[in-house]
Amino acid sequence: MKVTVGMGSCGVAAGAGESLEMLKRSVIGSNVTLVGCNGLCYLEPIVEIDGKAFVKVNEKAAGEIVKLINGEPNDAGQYAIKQDDLNNINGQTRVALANCGVINPENIEEYTARAGYTAAKKCVTGLTPEQVIEEVKTSGIGGRGGAGFPTWFKWNAARSSPGEKKYVICNADEGDPGAFMDRAVIEGDPHAVIEGMLIAAYAIGSDEGIVYVRAEYPLAITRLEIAMKQAREKGFLGQNIFGSGFSFDMRIKAGAGAFVCGEETALIASLEGERGMPRLKPPFPAQKGYQKKPSNINNVETYANIPWIIRNGGAAFSAMGTENSKGTKVFALTGKIKNGGLVEIPMGQSIRDVVFGPGGGIKDGKAFKAVQMGGPSGGCIPAELADTLIDYKTLAATGAIMGSGGMVVMDETTCMVDTARYFLDFTCKESCGKCTHCRVGNRRMLEILERICGGEGREGDIELLSELAEQIQSGSLCQLGMTAPNPVLTTIRYFRNEYEDHINHKKCTARHCKPLLTYNINEQCTGCTLCAKKCPAAAITGEVKKPHVINMEACVQCGKCAEVCRFGAVEVD
Amino acid sequence: MGEIKLTINGIECAGTAGQTILETARANGIDIPTLCHDERAEIYGSCGICVVEAEGNPRLLRACSIMAADGMVIHTDTERVRKSRQTMLELLLSDHTGDCVAPCVLHCPGETDCQGYVKLTAEGKYNEAYNLIMEKLPFPASIGRVCPHPCEEACRRELVEEPVSIMELKRYVGDKAILPQPPAATAPSEREPKALLLEEGGTRLAYAGRKCREESGKSVAIVGGGPGGLTAAYFLRLKGHAVTVYDAMPQMGGMLRYGIPEYRLPKEILQKEIDVIAKTGVEMRNNVKIGRNITLSNLKKDYDAVIVAVGAWTSVGLGCPGEELDGVVGGIDFLRGVSPQTMSGSDNRNEDVLYPLSGQKVAVVGGGNTAMDACRTAVRLGADAVYNIYRRTKNEMPAEEIEITEAEEEGVVFKNLTNPIEIIGKDGKVCAVRLQIMELGQPDASGRRRPVAVQGKEETLDVESVLVAIGQKTDVSGLEELELTRWKTLAADEHTFRTNLEGVFAVGDATNNGAGIAISAIGEARRAAGMVDRYLNGETLEYKAPYLVKTEKTAKDFEDRKKELRVKVRCRPAGERIKDFKEINPGLTEEEARKEASRCLECGCLDYFECKLIKYANQYDVQPEKYGGKMHRRAVEDDIPGVVRTPDKCILCGLCVRLCEEEVGAGVLGFVGRGFDTVVMPAGDCIECVNCGKCAEVCPTGALIGKVTV
Repeated sequence: MKVTVGMGSCGVAAGAGESLEMLKRSVIGSNVTLVGCNGLCYLEPIVEIDGKAFVKVNEKAAGEIVKLINGEPNDAGQYAIKQDDLNNINGQTRVALANCGVINPENIEEYTARAGYTAAKKCVTGLTPEQVIEEVKTSGIGGRGGAGFPTWFKWNAARSSPGEKKYVICNADEGDPGAFMDRAVIEGDPHAVIEGMLIAAYAIGSDEGIVYVRAEYPLAITRLEIAMKQAREKGFLGQNIFGSGFSFDMRIKAGAGAFVCGEETALIASLEGERGMPRLKPPFPAQKGYQKKPSNINNVETYANIPWIIRNGGAAFSAMGTENSKGTKVFALTGKIKNGGLVEIPMGQSIRDVVFGPGGGIKDGKAFKAVQMGGPSGGCIPAELADTLIDYKTLAATGAIMGSGGMVVMDETTCMVDTARYFLDFTCKESCGKCTHCRVGNRRMLEILERICGGEGREGDIELLSELAEQIQSGSLCQLGMTAPNPVLTTIRYFRNEYEDHINHKKCTARHCKPLLTYNINEQCTGCTLCAKKCPAAAITGEVKKPHVINMEACVQCGKCAEVCRFGAVEVD
Repeated sequence: MGEIKLTINGIECAGTAGQTILETARANGIDIPTLCHDERAEIYGSCGICVVEAEGNPRLLRACSIMAADGMVIHTDTERVRKSRQTMLELLLSDHTGDCVAPCVLHCPGETDCQGYVKLTAEGKYNEAYNLIMEKLPFPASIGRVCPHPCEEACRRELVEEPVSIMELKRYVGDKAILPQPPAATAPSEREPKALLLEEGGTRLAYAGRKCREESGKSVAIVGGGPGGLTAAYFLRLKGHAVTVYDAMPQMGGMLRYGIPEYRLPKEILQKEIDVIAKTGVEMRNNVKIGRNITLSNLKKDYDAVIVAVGAWTSVGLGCPGEELDGVVGGIDFLRGVSPQTMSGSDNRNEDVLYPLSGQKVAVVGGGNTAMDACRTAVRLGADAVYNIYRRTKNEMPAEEIEITEAEEEGVVFKNLTNPIEIIGKDGKVCAVRLQIMELGQPDASGRRRPVAVQGKEETLDVESVLVAIGQKTDVSGLEELELTRWKTLAADEHTFRTNLEGVFAVGDATNNGAGIAISAIGEARRAAGMVDRYLNGETLEYKAPYLVKTEKTAKDFEDRKKELRVKVRCRPAGERIKDFKEINPGLTEEEARKEASRCLECGCLDYFECKLIKYANQYDVQPEKYGGKMHRRAVEDDIPGVVRTPDKCILCGLCVRLCEEEVGAGVLGFVGRGFDTVVMPAGDCIECVNCGKCAEVCPTGALIGKVTV
């Protein structure tokens, strides 16, 4: 009997640790193993017994499952995964996530049992570096960090750059709000990343690798450390790998969590112990990177795809996807979506396919409004464009970007001006402060959005925003600054009416921006006095058992009255 | 190194591979602005000012960082480039606080560099101080005695305790230049005030401004030899034009001579300053009145340009019965009449004076400085009683407080809240004035409370003379060709000073808003001289107000300042000074002047003349106020040896940080904080600092300023 417990960060947060401890008290004892996240984060904790999944396994459920394992009468059946949710997984195509939630990430044997390190061996012992690069070129894989820049090109550039010492760097500084693909991959399948880096190292001629991972991912760091140790013990890292004479080892650098350090030149600066500030390219890292040596920087998901590509051939990878975008892509679905979690689908499906397929549609039966793709650097794609295909080119045409895979779903209660404000607030806080465009420009845009959301919008603000955005896009030094206006530009493009409502009519149609709301008590009021008691501004008056009244002059628009009213008597407009 | 060829702004340029676009452009004589680049430091690219367009590239390129490549077609000054630079400058300025120019300077109608000469005075650099004043104002000793000093009204030292005595300091420097110095300062043989001792330029201080530009061959006639006309003459002469000043009075100086009494401004002082102007080669012709001895059309014919600066010499009448009576005199007419006879040396009781008031009771109507001058002159002429008639209270009087106080000390009786309604005569001569008692009502447009008659309350004063000092008008006879304003003043453009006649300009009291203060006329005259010079050179005349960063300050900003009251100006005792017309204020001693000058808070940015940010801001027409966002307000720091650090002026170009690290190798400075709140700061106690001052030297703004050793 094989019993596994999903112990990714999502599972642990949902209480999988307790479930694991309880299961260990069953007859099979410590044979219960942990696995990473399988993507169904909304169902955590997840326990599988011989491939049969039980979901939302709280203490009570764990107790029932223990009985099941022990062969006692039990109620475990009610926790069994539902067919819809199973379809969710089965509808996906898993390459990067293939082992996630399946193998024990802390046990290298489980990885090697699924052909782990055979790709590396094939490369190191059977292919020339050029052939490896050619295979990657055939696959058509582009950088999964967001830009989709051809991976083979970077590898080739780093290989061609003169120099004895070269570096392979893994960018695991995943920082987009609502994105956790890389964390899940490292937590669930760290060896895939190590193997991908090993292959890249062989291809470019490097003997040293560094994983730059944010310190907020302690579990990922731990799993990676365990995996590296095991790989060294097995001889997959270190001197003379596979007896080929090729040597490669790697280390982890925990980043302090500055978003901008995900930008490769800032990442290098941070690795070197400098302030994490981007610099201009060229020179590209492939020419002058870490320690001014040629360096190849790829994202976690990119490396995780490499072993699969080598094992199955570049052509198999490129058979999936579209003309411009090959293979699969992992997305982190969050926001007003029913099934929040990770999905991996072939490129070329539509946004709608994702949202209403594995995503299960919008929560609480609300209307689908938009999806933010690419995090703070991306853009909002409106529901009308939900049939847009997931493809670097078509997504860019909407003003959004593929990004690293964050997909934040919004419904009718989401204010799009506030959404733009939220993302810009993020980028402003994460700005390194180096260049004018970002340090001051994005800040000024944020202030304009803040005043619009605060009911202080002025005529001409939309134009001022658009003008600033254009200037920032065309002149910023790094991608963080340059792409920061995207959420603003796309929301203006698709939801201009909401901006106009805020500015001209002082109305937030999504009823989100509190300073723009007015409150009124209708005849449903029973005079329970609860709202008056809770009102922090003493703006509500009325006698007991008689309808109350709100004095809008005194009202501070906190919304407390509407929140506490049990009779639906407080109308918000 | 490979040779490359590229096109910049349509010009074929040669370059070397491995050089940036900026370096290549500079090597070919094309300037690209930048704030964060310095060839001594590594490429950085933060300010975004150096952007250029390269054909075929959709993005703007940072010229400081992108290597020039063979065949590139670069444009450094397209509309898109300019717009981008403008936006970046606006963004930088939207969080750049401070004062480019000190409030005192901004409020001086003559734009004199008050902060500059006060500082130089504090340092004892009187030559430099004098030269600095003379760049804007050729009458420091005179104006230093009579100016109502709007500079001091604006002085922020007021927020600590009292404004700096800027006017007295100007006088000190002016006197130093034209008067014999006390024994301690000069050799014994030079003690006597001999004109011979004056240097070539007519001053004792080495004076750089006396050198005129090469003769231009152009000529300018100036009508009116008052402060405005003489100032225009001076600056035009310095520019090499032949200048002739025509004046209707027997001597030059205008109202400074004929309107201001000797006890405030000795004629000798004024004359010495006029002499300095004359020494530059200005031709001065007195007793020539326009419309009588010369005509405007002749001047136009004979000269390449004409400046009309005739002033406002006609007293406004009272408009009440009896004003035609013998003994009713206009205030300025009175002052002008007694002026020649009231030199310090002359006997003021002499019956020869035009208006012998000895033993008389005199009423002076009006609340301005002219009224005070008339009152105090009447006292000195031996009047028995001098009454000041003013329809509001002392608080509303336009005259300066010190004038009122001193007049009171000298025995002038202030009949406030009274208004003359009839002058009563006997045998055609004044014998009394009937006064309506007033009270203050609601504030009027000027904000002052309007005087209202108290019905049925009157008072009659027995007087033999009534001096009317309630306003002045311009006599426009001889100037009929010129367009007038609805106030019957000459209409002149407020920036170019052009009149309706080609080549004729007008400034001062005679124009637009009418009579003002001398320094206003001087400021207009200097600016007009610049305009006339451009006109003579065939340039178009236009005016663009400079962009300046300004910041409001409150007393809280100066809480930590030690209080130090301003120096008390000495005044001869009232009982003594009323007996003659000798100057009542002896001026400051050197010790007092330097102490007073050192009270200056130095509000204006010390980097203003070198600041690249403000230079570019004026080139790119910025409007940073449109963003209206948060501005930092951080304290000025003294944490780098020999350098004053003002974080709110920092534009984070990083030049200081980089040069300190890369060139000096000290690495004292670093960036602290993130995003909008990033700030440059020294690490620890600056142990590694080698006091090289490089950080301040490379700072493109006034964020880091090297301390000047006094």
